[in-house]
Amino acid sequence: MHVLVCEDDELIASGIVAGLTAQGLTVEHVATASAARAMLKVAEFDVMVLDLGLPDEDGLKLLQQLRNSGLEIPVLILTARDSVTDRVDGLQAGADDYLLKPFDLRELAARLHTLLRRVAGRSVNLIEHGALTYDPSSRETMLGGQPVDLSRREQSLLQALLHNRGRVLSTEQLKDSVYGFNDELESNALNVHIHHLRRKLGNGIVETVRGLGYRLGPADGGDQSK
Amino acid sequence: MMSLRLRLSLTLGAAFALIWALAAAWMLSDLRNQMMFSLDQRLVASARMVAGLMEQLPALPTKGEGTHFSAEQLNVPGGMACQVSSLRGEILARSHTDPQQKLEAEKMGFHDQMIDGAPWRSFTLARGDLRITTADRQIEREALNMSILLAASVPVGVALLGCLCLLWLGIGQGLAPLNRMRDALMRRSADSLEPLLIQPLPSELQPLLDTQNQLFQRIGRTIERERRLTGDAAHELRSPLTAIKTHLQVARMTDGAARDQSLARAEEGADRLHRTLEQLLLLARVEGSLSFDDGVQCSAEQVAKLAIQDAASGDRQRIKFQVPTKVSAAPVQMPAVLSIAALRNLLDNALRHTPSDGAVELSLETTDNRVRFVVRDHGPGIAEADLQHLTQRFWRNGQSTGCGLGLAIVQAIVQRCACTLRFDSRPDGLRVELTMPLQPA
Repeated sequence: MHVLVCEDDELIASGIVAGLTAQGLTVEHVATASAARAMLKVAEFDVMVLDLGLPDEDGLKLLQQLRNSGLEIPVLILTARDSVTDRVDGLQAGADDYLLKPFDLRELAARLHTLLRRVAGRSVNLIEHGALTYDPSSRETMLGGQPVDLSRREQSLLQALLHNRGRVLSTEQLKDSVYGFNDELESNALNVHIHHLRRKLGNGIVETVRGLGYRLGPADGGDQSK
Repeated sequence: MMSLRLRLSLTLGAAFALIWALAAAWMLSDLRNQMMFSLDQRLVASARMVAGLMEQLPALPTKGEGTHFSAEQLNVPGGMACQVSSLRGEILARSHTDPQQKLEAEKMGFHDQMIDGAPWRSFTLARGDLRITTADRQIEREALNMSILLAASVPVGVALLGCLCLLWLGIGQGLAPLNRMRDALMRRSADSLEPLLIQPLPSELQPLLDTQNQLFQRIGRTIERERRLTGDAAHELRSPLTAIKTHLQVARMTDGAARDQSLARAEEGADRLHRTLEQLLLLARVEGSLSFDDGVQCSAEQVAKLAIQDAASGDRQRIKFQVPTKVSAAPVQMPAVLSIAALRNLLDNALRHTPSDGAVELSLETTDNRVRFVVRDHGPGIAEADLQHLTQRFWRNGQSTGCGLGLAIVQAIVQRCACTLRFDSRPDGLRVELTMPLQPA
């Protein structure tokens, strides 16, 4: 899951980035509203975490403006202001969830998963795809009832594919989801992870669409010989 | 407590009724005296008239007891008895059979007597060897008196009742603006702070309404300020707390160098929380009424040196302090703790906004009764529009790392201790001038 964190307090932001990364999410951090706008233009994000007290612009105004210009990804507001008016204003401006500082990193991750699940129209926090099931919060992958051990990158890759069922994802989009911007990337790193995923979940799980990118394929279980 | 209208009506009504009653009693007693006098005069006149008649009549038989004249014959008014008797007491003539008992005619002049158990008033006149006595019944006098009293008191009573009614209505009318005010107040919700609008209002109540509205306004502003302050304080305290908690959780999720880094950052957060708390407490104490006077007295130069010592420890050598050649040794006329804290906050602020290789200059000069500190930094200065925010709580210039309370504390100290504070921003840095009172030599 590719997360954009917009938080001006450097100390808090570094904690969120480290904590969400440790829980298997791919996180990008910006400190200002203008940086957030720029970042949303150049990369695809699944969800956004927004602090209201930004130095250059009020977070609510930013959110309203982003929603008006067609931003559809779920947004979770993170703030230290706890009055009911603040919360109502936040939700009215287009936020999908509201978390009060100080918060629990596990709760933040769980809420982000829930937001994504809601967007995907699922009612249980478990993604099923043929013989494959994936739990975004516990990051457990099961294939035909058997647990499969995936690395963090492989989990991110699988999640990106599962969240975009039926759609073709370009190499760039997949890289954003799996690595974010900060990681130094070897040119064939993505191919290595795709290869590993195919080896563990079956060759068909990642379909290559020539010239365009990759797509989620059928999960047919233990048919690993192909 | 009783309503104002009822109270006013009762007080005024009682006073009214009392005065009217006294006047009426006075008038009626006067009237009664006049009437008694008139009735007595009638007895006298009747007796004289009978005496005149007796002289014209033929001599009465000496033993003609029981001789009766009718009242008409003697020409005495109805209800009045008349008796003519000799000096010896023999009754020569009487006007009627009633009363049976003869009238007492021993004494001359007016006389109250009981005849057949009823009180009479009589008048006896001596004329020659005759005694003429006229009398009338007290009961009749009283009845007459009563009917006059009644005739006089009914209009008085009606007038009094009418007055009381008008009083009640008039007071109600007069108090109507108060009632309107009461109704307007009762219609408001308890926490409403909107100004009251009542028109028209008499000039006596207008100041009350104005004061009330000013009070509402002041309370509204205070509540708004407090609300903002608690909101700000919550934000300022929760932010470092969030940093601490987040990094501690990260430390639990990771190990090795990542864990050490997270723990170090959690500690950084704790330091920030500590600083913010200290500053908030100091601000609350300065703004409160607690005394800071510990008997320690510092001269201006000592204040400057102590403030430099307290200022951000690592950066102390960046502060250039020029000790003037001629400086007053008089102690600063305010608690030393506060004068040092104010100057230290200015120095901290200057250090924070000066690039790490730049210096902060502190100069001081004394006049007869004041000391003037000038702190000059080599930062970028501050926009004209932002000068007014400088002493606002939790306001920070851009990405400043301060807790946003330093200058607010200086401002609070300035207000408490009769100091002055002036900012002068130029492109080559901000100059802050702080003056404090000195004890007269």
